[in-house]
Amino acid sequence: MTLNPSVLLIVLLGIGFPMAFTQSIVANTVVCCIALLYLITHHANLKTIGLVTLVSLPLALGTGWSFIAFGTGDVWQQAWLQVSRLFAYLYLGMTLTLTTKVKEMLLSFVLHLHLSPTFAYGLLAAFNLLPRIQRQVKIIRYSANLRGITYHLWQPQLYFKAILSAIQWSDDLAQGMASHGFSEGFPRTMTYQDKLPKWQWLLAGLLILIYLLLSLFL
Amino acid sequence: MQTLQQNNTRWHLKDVIFLAIIAIFFGIIYQLWGYMYYALAATPLKPFANNLTLGVWLMAGPMAGVLLKKVGATFLGELLAATVEMLLFSSWGVSTLLSGSIQGLGSELGFAITGYKNWDKIGLAFSVLTSTIVTFGWDLFSNGYLHYQPLMLIGLFAARLLSVGFFAGVLVYWIKRLLDQTGLMK
Repeated sequence: MTLNPSVLLIVLLGIGFPMAFTQSIVANTVVCCIALLYLITHHANLKTIGLVTLVSLPLALGTGWSFIAFGTGDVWQQAWLQVSRLFAYLYLGMTLTLTTKVKEMLLSFVLHLHLSPTFAYGLLAAFNLLPRIQRQVKIIRYSANLRGITYHLWQPQLYFKAILSAIQWSDDLAQGMASHGFSEGFPRTMTYQDKLPKWQWLLAGLLILIYLLLSLFL
Repeated sequence: MQTLQQNNTRWHLKDVIFLAIIAIFFGIIYQLWGYMYYALAATPLKPFANNLTLGVWLMAGPMAGVLLKKVGATFLGELLAATVEMLLFSSWGVSTLLSGSIQGLGSELGFAITGYKNWDKIGLAFSVLTSTIVTFGWDLFSNGYLHYQPLMLIGLFAARLLSVGFFAGVLVYWIKRLLDQTGLMK
């Protein structure tokens, strides 16, 4: 059973927002387990999950330890709560990002969550530039090095030059898209369709409700 | 014929692409910081590491605000940066989106206080103040700061104000000044 990205987003926000306030380690652990189960049944890359978990372990340690060192009241309860929350957010987030492609996600938001196509296609256009943007950062830094200058992260130059490229590229891309027939604010013919049966919205509501009840009573 | 005209209230394709590219650029630049943060974050000093580097994550919002000078630009700029962050760089997913919204709201509030009339030093100063307060309020719950000792809380707030003040205030102002000199943003 694959959930539509729009439904997943609503579930993630519906559980993620109250999770910032709840105090239930049990509820957070249940979220971790269900999210992991969803990931495994949907053939998410196990190596990625393992790697991200491994990378997060020191962060979880830092979080828990800081409450034991500087906390008040029941410090162990707080430490475990925050650690469980960290992993719950992590696995919950991965259910969307590891099972869905960026394009499917954005187009699903257009179809079902009223995201404006201008934003969806604008973001897609920019994402396709990722390798060029990565190269550009290198070029800016190396060409400064050639002149014996190092741009530090607390100086404005690196950001300034990046923004200059962004001005030029966004102009070019927007004009290119307009000349290919992209019309802002006009109705579009959507050739992309995805499945979203009504029961998925019901399931979303149910999952959020179950989380709220669990976090209140356990 | 479809042309790319600019008026200052609607969001145009160009603005969206512009902010998304900036967000990707900043995302890549932030990755250069990663190691320093990581070394500190594995110790009980993690909350300090979080607060001292937080300003870096808050740059995109006010930057978008002072560049585009639109109502909502700061909020959307930060939200776009968080979306890019979620889709390209981090596996934190939904919490990135949540904290991005809170940060955007906090930064936007500062410009709103000036009635969206000041996109310069005063607007940025208010934005620094409101975003520090709003994000700290969120962390009192979401990161359990309420359960830290009071002295620790004061220290964390000071660290955050310093970081946000420098990165999302002073540094954004410096970048804006350089851009103003080029005349490209008119």
